[in-house]
Amino acid sequence: MGKGYHLEGDTIIINRESTKLDLFVKDFLDVLKKYVDYLLVSGFVSISSGRTRGTEDVDILVPIMNKDVFEKLFEELQKSGFWCYQGDSVEEVYPYITEMSNIRFARVDEMFPNMEVIPITEKRKAKFFEFTHPQKMKVQEFEFKIPPLEFEILYKELVLGGQKDLADAKHLRTFFAEIIKKEKFKEYEPIIKSEL
Amino acid sequence: MKEIDYIALYAESLKEDNGLFKQQKRLIESQFQGSSSLFRGMFSPNFKANARQYLRKVGLL
Repeated sequence: MGKGYHLEGDTIIINRESTKLDLFVKDFLDVLKKYVDYLLVSGFVSISSGRTRGTEDVDILVPIMNKDVFEKLFEELQKSGFWCYQGDSVEEVYPYITEMSNIRFARVDEMFPNMEVIPITEKRKAKFFEFTHPQKMKVQEFEFKIPPLEFEILYKELVLGGQKDLADAKHLRTFFAEIIKKEKFKEYEPIIKSEL
Repeated sequence: MKEIDYIALYAESLKEDNGLFKQQKRLIESQFQGSSSLFRGMFSPNFKANARQYLRKVGLL
């Protein structure tokens, strides 16, 4: 028996074994990170830190990218065993990115889980803020970036607000109570409310 | 006790006992297995084409 998490510098280490969900996300990020920066948000943050619930999609923010970069990313994802719900070619899928619409990738011959790629620009102020203020989290050898905990909690409470989101927020508030900083809630609240 | 209270109680316990993560791992991996069997059964052998048809029907495409 040990603690659920500890800190190593500014990285939150979750003290658990990897799951198939972690390996799925890691495989996707191993490709994505070669081409573009990212931030994992929403359900994966809560589930990574022990919230016991199922999930179908893993939300990931990525900055909008030009077509050449997207083409290389898209082709390598396909070669690495992922398929895209929206289409099999760059010509079919890239317009979703330019229109700021989400696209989804799953492993070949699987539907779920999928990576829901959410394009962002500086115009989406709250999303851009969390994207540019990442918190590092680690499970075994898998290190990844999430929003500041206080931001993630408030976003779930103020913007999303569904039963599942409020339950996730409660989990995060309780599990990380010792490292959450109250003053950060005050700092983040107006930024998050700008999205309402 | 409401569901949200159970969530808080579980998170408190998990903070002190990482052995509880094993239950979560079992749930996640069982969901993977169930989803995989279900959709392969529904969509094979033309998985992508059938999956996209389904996604249009449920409004995900």
